[in-house]
Amino acid sequence: MNTVEFIINGKKVSAVRDECIMKIAKENGIHIDGLCYSPDLETAGGSCRLCLVEVHEKGKMRVVTSCNYPVRANIEVKTDTPFIKKLKRSVIELLMARAPESAAIREIAAREGITETRFKHIDANQKMKNCIACGLCAQVCSEVVGVSAISMVNRGFEKTSGTPFKKMSSVCIGCGACAYICPTNAIEMKETKSSRIIWGREFAMQKCSECGVHYIPIAQVTWIVETTGKERKFFDKCPDCR
Amino acid sequence: MSEDVKKIDSIIARYEKNEESLLAVLQDLQREFNYVPEEGIVRLSKAMDVPLSKIYAMGTFYKALSLTPRGKHVIKVCMGTACHLKGAGLMVEAIERDLKIKCGETTKDMKFTLETVNCVGACAMAPVVVVGDDYHGHISPSKVTDTIKKYGQ
Amino acid sequence: MSLLRSSQDLIKYREKLSAEVVKDIPSVLVCFGTGCFANGSGGVAENFKEEIKKRGLKVNVNIGMKTTGCHGYCANGPLVVIKPKDILYLKVKPDDVPEIIEKSIVGNETIERLVYKDVNTKEKIAEYHEIPFYKHQKRIALEKIGLVDPASIEDYIISGGYAALAKALTMKPDAIIAEIDKSGLRGRGGGGFPAGRKWRSCVEAPGDVRYVICNGDEGDPGAFMDRSVMEGDPHTVIEGMIIGAIAIGSHKGYIYVRDEYPLAVKNLQRAIDAARASGLLGENILGSGFSFDLKISRGGGAFVCGESSALMRSVGGDIGEPRAKYIRSVEKGLYDKPTVLNNVETWANVPVIIEKGADWYASLGTKGSKGTKVFSLVGKVNNTGLIEVPMGITLRSLIFDIGGGILNNKKFKAVQTGGPSGGCIPESLLDMQVDFDSLSEAGSMMGSGGMIVMDEESCMVDVAKYFTNFLVEESCGKCTPCRDGLPQMLEILTRITEGKGKEGDIELLEDICETLSWGALCGLGSSAPNPVLSTLKHFKHEYEAHIKDKKCPAGVCKTLITYHIDKDKCTGCTLCAKRCPQKCISGEKKQLHVIDESKCIKCGICKDVCKFNAVMID
Repeated sequence: MNTVEFIINGKKVSAVRDECIMKIAKENGIHIDGLCYSPDLETAGGSCRLCLVEVHEKGKMRVVTSCNYPVRANIEVKTDTPFIKKLKRSVIELLMARAPESAAIREIAAREGITETRFKHIDANQKMKNCIACGLCAQVCSEVVGVSAISMVNRGFEKTSGTPFKKMSSVCIGCGACAYICPTNAIEMKETKSSRIIWGREFAMQKCSECGVHYIPIAQVTWIVETTGKERKFFDKCPDCR
Repeated sequence: MSEDVKKIDSIIARYEKNEESLLAVLQDLQREFNYVPEEGIVRLSKAMDVPLSKIYAMGTFYKALSLTPRGKHVIKVCMGTACHLKGAGLMVEAIERDLKIKCGETTKDMKFTLETVNCVGACAMAPVVVVGDDYHGHISPSKVTDTIKKYGQ
Repeated sequence: MSLLRSSQDLIKYREKLSAEVVKDIPSVLVCFGTGCFANGSGGVAENFKEEIKKRGLKVNVNIGMKTTGCHGYCANGPLVVIKPKDILYLKVKPDDVPEIIEKSIVGNETIERLVYKDVNTKEKIAEYHEIPFYKHQKRIALEKIGLVDPASIEDYIISGGYAALAKALTMKPDAIIAEIDKSGLRGRGGGGFPAGRKWRSCVEAPGDVRYVICNGDEGDPGAFMDRSVMEGDPHTVIEGMIIGAIAIGSHKGYIYVRDEYPLAVKNLQRAIDAARASGLLGENILGSGFSFDLKISRGGGAFVCGESSALMRSVGGDIGEPRAKYIRSVEKGLYDKPTVLNNVETWANVPVIIEKGADWYASLGTKGSKGTKVFSLVGKVNNTGLIEVPMGITLRSLIFDIGGGILNNKKFKAVQTGGPSGGCIPESLLDMQVDFDSLSEAGSMMGSGGMIVMDEESCMVDVAKYFTNFLVEESCGKCTPCRDGLPQMLEILTRITEGKGKEGDIELLEDICETLSWGALCGLGSSAPNPVLSTLKHFKHEYEAHIKDKKCPAGVCKTLITYHIDKDKCTGCTLCAKRCPQKCISGEKKQLHVIDESKCIKCGICKDVCKFNAVMID
């Protein structure tokens, strides 16, 4: 492994070359905000722009997203300069104007001492009011779950995630990974006693033979059985009772 | 098999089974049907073994593709810079007024769809309105009204 | 077509073809560029064909009929050139054909009414090269356009085509790169990155598979240079790409063309097929053992696909969203393989550099910008069209000598270059040299070559709003500053143009601009503020007039203008009243007409139909 040394906020640190700044910052106790990054997804990051930092190298300064900028030897990273704070303020205010009801965005804003946005809310006429089009839901659906039931549709201001033709997806297994990973809780998932509704489709849930809890969509069990060769019987009991 | 399905399948059959072919098939479908029918995307997904959601995303991303049926005559008002300077906005307004539709919409009788395009590369004839394959250059608010009328007959 | 198995074969084939061409026999070239075609050059060519056939029986004149690509002088199409005398006829109608044949082909006369007439000196000029529009140009990339038939590989070969390829096959790949490097060729797509350096980085990147790509997704509004090259001289682009492939060791290439350019797609495909059938493309090119093939990939109408990583995703069959990684595409491009991406004009410059040498090429242009640049000169200028000029020419010469000055003797205000990523250059900088660095310094950029001239009747706030609106529609939506920042900018600009601008709006605009410049994901986003920033820099007073005085000095912004009829000019012809969709113009026959301002929707029809220029805008 190729280890490199560099400076972050005045502190000399070492890291594996090509790892992202955000990860190394975290390891060194420096928190950087971000909504669109997940270490488990290859294509994640670079979208929300909350994690902008300055990188100084060979006398030049660049502003980069720390979630996907690969560290190199002898760079100097600054995460909290007045300039970065100014840029971040605008990004936060833009996100606030887009999704005024999002608690996650308000929380980040509050930490920066921002309570109001200077920008007007423009209605994108989309169903998911809190969606910031980061793409994590579609990425997890294709990269981790492997069904690609949803994708990022439209472009520009109207970009959002959705199922093909806004119809119920026949390949969705109701696993809810998209709703779990969504940083702004934009994806609605309703649970009743024995079913779950997501993306407009109702999924019957498997009941635990021991405790009686409905714990996993039957469609998801079928998918796991088909793709991994695991026995269906394994899913008779919920993880707690296994 | 319906006629449309046959047409769809023959378009798909022209291309290699390869993701590189997706956009080309979508464009050919657009050309054949004047829009990309849902059935076309579904059959393309199966034939190429590519998730439906991915092809649908492409259908919503590229401006050359339309997922809703369009009128017999597609009117494209060029919004290139040269056309804009020479009053392309007035042409859009004139057509909207005459056809009683907004830009991007289709008339109820399915005769006309009104769209804007970024630049058709015919800047020397600005402002330009393209109806179907016909270029109408050096157009003006009053001329555009007369031109569209002719296509409506 | 014949299969060429060696460079020797190519030379012999060229000699054979050249011998077949009978010299000094008149030929007619009819321009088939989009502009001329739309103006009816199809009918003109048809009539020539028919008339020649008809007379061919009686008169023994052999005429080569070619439907060539764009001659560039689009403002005056359809254009017809009579060779070998190089007479240029403008605005030719199908009915003019018999007369042209009678007088200028069978006979030896020039038809006065069809030749160029200088707007200022009223002098009539018949010879193509003597017309000011052409006289100040230097054609390299456009050299063959308008002269060779794009549908004929034989034509291209006669004119010296594929000789550079034959030469490149005898050179070491490294020597080709060194030659391109030494020529000083910089990418013509916008950024102006040195082509030789790009090629070398690609070669140095690890990997066995490499790709070359031609970016023909000309998306800048007001630009049609690449369209003309692809339509009018497809083989030059193909030859350039093959040479590039030899240099970097690539065996597969793609030409990404806008689907809105159907003729370019058709002509390129035909040229690729012909080159392949002639042994100039595909397996074992000219018997050298080197193989390379090309595929056309049609774009889907997305400006962002001009950005390299987005284009490569689109070629691979996906949405054209730029990649967020900080890795250059020369190292990890198409399918994560090292890739050289250059635009149409850049590739079109390659064969001539290899053929005539780097020193020759480097002798043209300025210190930092070598060679020539193709521009589409459009907007409020007399001679609109496609031009190629040496780098370093002044903007003034370009607009006033070649462009013939401003339409209708209006006053020049600004020239916009670089498309939506560029900016507006004011009159005070007209004597500036046109090259990559000077344009950047002026707050604009070279871009792909759109040059849009604006006059006193162009509102600079409206222009900024126009480009911002364009970018709102073209943003891919991946990153926050571009997706959400641009609509906010449009919101502010719209309220300014509607007279609702507030104190602080300019500062707010500047703030979003800064966030975009520094914080956007791709080049489209980070250059998106340029139209606003450059107009703020050079035309701030116009913004202030809208915000403080609620006035649009240029008379463009609808909410801030009113229409009225000049009492001295109105003849009472009633035409405006008849055509007014609001029925808000009143007046008796032969009496002064009056517009009811409260009902007027400012549609412009009265001004458009008035034959006496009596409708005025305040």
